[in-house]
Amino acid sequence: MNISPTEAEEALAAIQSMMQKTRRAISSSGAYKFLILWGAIWLIGFLGSQFLPKEVSGNVWIGLDILGGILSVIIGVGLKQGVRSSTPTTSGKRIGMFWLLLFLYCAAAIGVAWPVDGKQFAMFIILFVTVGWIAMGLLLSFASVWWGLALLGLSLVSYFLLPDYFYFIMAFVGGGGMIALGIYMRNRW
Amino acid sequence: MAELNETIHQTVRLRIMASLVTLAPSEEVEFTYLRDLLEVTDGNLGAHLRKLEEAGFITLNKAFVERKPRTYISATVDGRKVFSEHVAALEAIFKSKQ
Repeated sequence: MNISPTEAEEALAAIQSMMQKTRRAISSSGAYKFLILWGAIWLIGFLGSQFLPKEVSGNVWIGLDILGGILSVIIGVGLKQGVRSSTPTTSGKRIGMFWLLLFLYCAAAIGVAWPVDGKQFAMFIILFVTVGWIAMGLLLSFASVWWGLALLGLSLVSYFLLPDYFYFIMAFVGGGGMIALGIYMRNRW
Repeated sequence: MAELNETIHQTVRLRIMASLVTLAPSEEVEFTYLRDLLEVTDGNLGAHLRKLEEAGFITLNKAFVERKPRTYISATVDGRKVFSEHVAALEAIFKSKQ
C-alpha cells in the first residue's frame, strides 16, 4: 500500500482530531449542563439578593436551590453512559462522597460562625464550592483549576473591596461566567 | 519498519480506531455514543465495525443495560498494536517529505 506524504499528513490530522474529540467528549461528559443550570441559578438568585427585600430573596434562594437539586438529579440520571470500564472503580462514589462531606463541612462552618449575614452566607458557600471545584480540577482536568481560582479570587475581591456590588458581580460574572463556560464546553470541547 | 494497514486506513475505520485507542484498555464505548462522536449513520458504522471485528482489531460486547440491548466496542491488544504501527508508518511517510 502506497500513499503520498500529503495523504499521510491528512490521515495524521484526522487521527489527531478524533483523539482530541474523544478525550473532550469523555472529560466534559455532560458537565456543561450542570454549569449552565447552576450559572442560571446564581444569576437569578444573586440578582434577587441585590434587588429584592431580604425575606423575599431568602425564599427565592430556597426555591432555586430545591429546583436546582431536582434538575441536577434529572440531568445526572439522563446523562448518557457512553463509556464504561470493565474494571470496577470506586472513583465515582468517592467523588460523590467528597461533595457530600464538603457540603456537610460547609453547613458545619456556617453553624459555627452563626449568626452570619447574607453576604457571609453566600461567601461561605462560594468558598466551599470553589475549593471542591479546584480539588476536582487537580484530580480530573487541570485546565478547570484556573476557572475555579478566578471565581474564588473574584468572589474575595468583591466581598472585601466592593461589598455594595457583591451580589451584582456574583450574578453577572459568577453566574454569567458559569453559563458562558458551559456553552463554551458544549460547543468547543 | 512499521507498515500501513489497508483495513485501518479507510477514513471512517481510521477515526473509529483513533477514538477507541484513546480509551483506557479496560474501557469500552457504547455504539450510539461512538456513532454520535463520529457523526455517521447506524448502518455505516455497523458495516465498518464488522470489518474491524473480522480483522480482529476490535471486540463487540452485547449487553443489557436497564433492560435495553446495548453494544459496547473496544480495541483489542492486536488492534492497538496495528494502529500504532499504522500511525508510525504515516509519520515516516510524512517526514520523508520534509
